[in-house]
Amino acid sequence: MSSTSHAAPAALRPPQAVGEAGFLSRWRVPLSIAVLCVLPWVLPSQALAVNVLIYGLFAVGYNLLFGYTGLLSFGHAAFFGGGAYITGMAIAHFGLGWFPAMLVGVAGSSVLAAVIGALSIRTRGIYFCMVTLALSQLVYYTALQASNWTGGENGLRGFTVAKADVLGFTVNLLDPMQKYYFLMVFAALALWFVSRVLNSPFGAAIEAVRENETRARACGYDVERTKLLSFILSGALCGVAGTMSAIHLSIVPLDALHYHTSSIVVMMTMLGGAGSFFGPFVGALVFLLIEDVASLWTSHWQLIVGVVFILFVLFLPKGIWGTLIAWRNRP
Amino acid sequence: MTDRKDGLTFSVSRRTLLAGMGAGIGVLAMPAIVRAQAETVRIGFPTPLTGPFGAEAKDQVRSAELAVKLINDKGGIAGRQVELLVRDDKLNAGEAATRTLELIEKDKVHAVVGALSSAVQLAVNEVTRARNMLYVSISQSDTINEVKDFSRYTFHEALNPHMTTAAVAKATFKKGSKVAFLVADYAYGHEMLRGFKRAAAAIGAEVVGEILHPFGAPDYSTLMPRIRSMKPDILAICNFGRDQANAIKQANDFGLKKQMQIVVPVLLHNQRIAVAPDVFEGVVGGANYYWELENSVPTAKAFNDAFRKMYGGAIPTDYGAYGFTGVTALLLGMQKAGGTDTDKVIAALQELKYDVAKGPQYFRKCDHQAVQSVLVLRSKAKADMKGADDLFEIVANDPGSEDMLRSCAELGFPT
Repeated sequence: MSSTSHAAPAALRPPQAVGEAGFLSRWRVPLSIAVLCVLPWVLPSQALAVNVLIYGLFAVGYNLLFGYTGLLSFGHAAFFGGGAYITGMAIAHFGLGWFPAMLVGVAGSSVLAAVIGALSIRTRGIYFCMVTLALSQLVYYTALQASNWTGGENGLRGFTVAKADVLGFTVNLLDPMQKYYFLMVFAALALWFVSRVLNSPFGAAIEAVRENETRARACGYDVERTKLLSFILSGALCGVAGTMSAIHLSIVPLDALHYHTSSIVVMMTMLGGAGSFFGPFVGALVFLLIEDVASLWTSHWQLIVGVVFILFVLFLPKGIWGTLIAWRNRP
Repeated sequence: MTDRKDGLTFSVSRRTLLAGMGAGIGVLAMPAIVRAQAETVRIGFPTPLTGPFGAEAKDQVRSAELAVKLINDKGGIAGRQVELLVRDDKLNAGEAATRTLELIEKDKVHAVVGALSSAVQLAVNEVTRARNMLYVSISQSDTINEVKDFSRYTFHEALNPHMTTAAVAKATFKKGSKVAFLVADYAYGHEMLRGFKRAAAAIGAEVVGEILHPFGAPDYSTLMPRIRSMKPDILAICNFGRDQANAIKQANDFGLKKQMQIVVPVLLHNQRIAVAPDVFEGVVGGANYYWELENSVPTAKAFNDAFRKMYGGAIPTDYGAYGFTGVTALLLGMQKAGGTDTDKVIAALQELKYDVAKGPQYFRKCDHQAVQSVLVLRSKAKADMKGADDLFEIVANDPGSEDMLRSCAELGFPT
């Protein structure tokens, strides 16, 4: 952190801070939480709402690296799945309670992010994509082979958390509404944390790196360290999403570590708007909603999702939320 | 100034938004109210309509819908009509768990039937077990029989690799035969390998080698010379779906069939149709169902006829039949229990003896595995086929017996 502890020069203030200025930006955390509060009431099912919560947070964590630091990683499934697996294993094999298990899950995915980040951060562009992809595949195959610990191909099972005691209250996690608001607390805390990070000098520094790496270096920032720290924070947030998914589904499928999961989060982030605070959530919401509704309607739902995605890339390259923000701030 | 104006604009749109949301809640709540009055019996049916097993999944849905229709035509469950809610699980365990949660929490189903992969069925099993929900699994697996994954709410209608490999080995292995294995390197492949090896040891056949290949591999050409050099009498190919067709096709190209008998644990109707008859010619494999069973089993004839009538002359396939037997068994249990009370239905299913498509079946007490007949089929040469659907000849039809299964003690159940 030492490199980033001094205040960012005005010239390096993030463009987003200007872009989302005013009401929306100042109240972005309470507003986001307000939206999350009504989600289970307006979506077709609570299970879908919990998935939006989980994948939304996954995309927010990913966006910290992709949207704000400008690094396109294809390996974030490792942190999402890693968090889920570690939480599940902590409960199934070590008999930990839900809260210590979640903490261990987040800590584990942060360590994983530190290792993968340290190995990949010095590459750039397509090489960075490929190195992160390769390293996350290592995690995938480790989980596949260590079947005594992870359940291998069959996925991890046997750690259903039916009840959680929180400050004297008992939350029934088999009740969909209670589960939603229980998990929403974690998403809300994570959102608040991301907002704090983005408002901090460090938030300005990562955007400086994204905008012009050479210039940031010339200004005295330790670019590699900034990138690495952003990578770890991003991995930790994806880990939180992973632990939430483990609690939600009470299984960890091997697919959680698959590169397909990495690509889904890229799509969600781009659909919603990379580099905007709430965009990734909107992306996750739209993506999952289309998938959910269209697959009830026809088994050719992939066609619909594909066409929608192409249309967005062609006509709304800033994503849904990014376009809305740009439209609000039009001169 | 502009800031303030912006804030105002936002608050107005937010109000509209809230009103819209209120209306949305109303619309969403309506069907729930209507549904409560209709009192239908709802069966959730998650199955991989998209993905590599799509063809099998669509057959399952058609057979399951037939089962529902036949019960409804006879008055349903104690006067209540039955409704099948089909969901696409995308052959993904996480997706299947979400869909199952939706079916239970939103659609308020009375039971779940379905899934077509070991991982997916175990995910559904985990979700239904925690919520005391009836589940009839129609996908092959040995794991689901074991005590660790046992759920008193779950009944396993499909065969398991242990049963099919034992039946195929009995029909093809002899004392002193040399057997080589080509195995897909994932859970189901290893379960099939384990079953074959056990049968080989019991019969006295010799294992001369085993080769693992990655799941979904398109190219087996480097493995074929290695298999040839083992000089086996029998090559057992332990994989599923497209892998099976690819591996057999390439074994054929290398002329392995002239030197050895190729056997598979499960001979798939749809995979056989996907390639030319000469590729599969002579290959022996197990199956839960084959339509020509109608020549010897009356209920198979009735099932085929009902299927032909509903689907314009089409015949049911092996995995399709699971959809029929699974749903029918559950509905018979509900009829016997006189409703959908979970404990009563479990008791009824445990006592149920049923013969709906393939001869007598029942669920074993300890692990709820369906005890049923296992077919062994041989793929016909083109010249011997009497029609486009005449694919296999029935080599053996082993009647259902608990001796085919691993004992309750071995699975970890208290005896």
